Amino acid sequence: MDILTLDKVSKSFGAKRILNEISFSVPQGSIFGFIGQNGAGKTTTMKMILGLLKKDQGEIYVAGEKVSFGQNVTNQYIGYLPDVPEFYEYMTPFEYLILCGKITGMSKNVAAERAKELLEKVGLLGEKRRIRGFSRGMKQRLGVAQALMNRPKLLICDEPTSALDPLGRKELLDILVQAKKETTILFSTHILSDVERICDQIAFLHGGELVLQGNLEEIKSKHVSNDLEIEFQNRNDMQEFLAQYEDGEEFSSMGVRYEAKTEKEMLCMMQYMWERNICPQKIERLEASLEDLFMEVVGR
Amino acid sequence: MKQLVAFIQKEWLEQIRSGKLFMVVIIFTLFGIMNPAMAKLTPWMMEIASESLADSGIVVTEITVDAMTSWTQYYKNITMPLIVFLLMFSGILTVEYQKKTLINMVTKGLSRWKIILSKTSTLLLLWTLVYWLHYGVTYGYNAYFWDNGIAKNIGFAAFCIYILGVWLLSLVLFVSVLASSSAGVLLGTAAVFGICYFIGMLTKIKEYLPTQLMNAGELLGGIGNIDGYYWAIVVCMVWAVLNIGGAVLLFNRKNF
Repeated sequence: MDILTLDKVSKSFGAKRILNEISFSVPQGSIFGFIGQNGAGKTTTMKMILGLLKKDQGEIYVAGEKVSFGQNVTNQYIGYLPDVPEFYEYMTPFEYLILCGKITGMSKNVAAERAKELLEKVGLLGEKRRIRGFSRGMKQRLGVAQALMNRPKLLICDEPTSALDPLGRKELLDILVQAKKETTILFSTHILSDVERICDQIAFLHGGELVLQGNLEEIKSKHVSNDLEIEFQNRNDMQEFLAQYEDGEEFSSMGVRYEAKTEKEMLCMMQYMWERNICPQKIERLEASLEDLFMEVVGR
Repeated sequence: MKQLVAFIQKEWLEQIRSGKLFMVVIIFTLFGIMNPAMAKLTPWMMEIASESLADSGIVVTEITVDAMTSWTQYYKNITMPLIVFLLMFSGILTVEYQKKTLINMVTKGLSRWKIILSKTSTLLLLWTLVYWLHYGVTYGYNAYFWDNGIAKNIGFAAFCIYILGVWLLSLVLFVSVLASSSAGVLLGTAAVFGICYFIGMLTKIKEYLPTQLMNAGELLGGIGNIDGYYWAIVVCMVWAVLNIGGAVLLFNRKNF
């Protein structure tokens, strides 16, 4: 079952078309990577899902219910983590989560229990300081806690790692992986390594359209690369190889990168080395990275 | 209801922890003390100034002060605490837009009308608290030093200014939905007030305009009649309700 469905959604700001009839679905229980360059329209899409921004056309459904601009009915299923979450800084994290709990309809006792549980999960339990004194990483972790407060069916994260240092990024990604056990995650980002690390479904947004979407592993296997990296034992072997395969590109003193056109060509190449008694140190078939895919779909 | 109560509690916690509640109480108390103090100090100040005034040919005779002197100060100075109040709370919504703090609340399902209602009730209660505190301090000192019985319609005149404040606060909330900064809110509110003021100066509909209530201090000296303020009160209250209703409607359509 799909927790989120966008059906031919369009949005323009003035004469500029930001989204052009985009459609996609997020399967329940997945971490869905919503990828695009800065300004591609990721945040605009998320704000429309949250009913914070009016769409020009199309329909959005969360847990089967239609999203209406200005209304909050579908937000009961959603937790939202903005890129830079902002809080009432005069509160402590515990007080803030209690407020969030009450806003979602919890009693004070239930909210307090849930707040403690989440603060422990994000490593902020026992933090008595007011939020004003928090670092960006701490605020981001509190952001995850507030987004999970109402046990949402869908957690929307808008570039949550873009403003964090490597350690903060790792901590946050670990928390999101843990959160996957209880919710579906829509994870918008332009940091492709983060997507490769935690997402199982992806959609590329480019030029107002979805240029690629589906299961990450399936997409990667469809775009398998024939690039090979060969490391030789000595330079003579390498020179002999390059005499035959002139397209090969030296990437180190004894390493060559070569793109085989077909698998048969790969076998021929290995036969050539066998015949000349060239025993390489290593032959590695390079996997297509998300970055390669991204470059391919954006035409660069 | 739970959402509304929780958000109202948040509003009050904000006023307390930001120190605004403390500041506004102190300011209104000081302004309340200032009116009888100015009246009490008038003879002394005039005595000090009498020598220099004598040089310019003005003879200062014995000055008698009473509760009326203090109430005159009250209505002369009332715009100052009112302006301070508006300055302090003009950002009640726009600061939340700028800091994007409302996004977490709205995406948790907090109805937008509850945000407006929470802000309205907080402002209204704060205004009621500090305005009547200010009035009470002046009234108390006046009663202690002199006799308030000398002034007519004291309570009604004070109520007129209170209603004027309620109207201005509703205007602040309405403009806050449209503006993106507190400067914009103040400018918009001042513009509406200014238009009312000038229309009142140029036409005969003065007694139907909220700005008519600014003259309520004249009632104390027996100038005019309370009948001349009824329509302005009604207009203020109806306009205030429309402001809040309009704010809710516009806020529901606002992009975040």
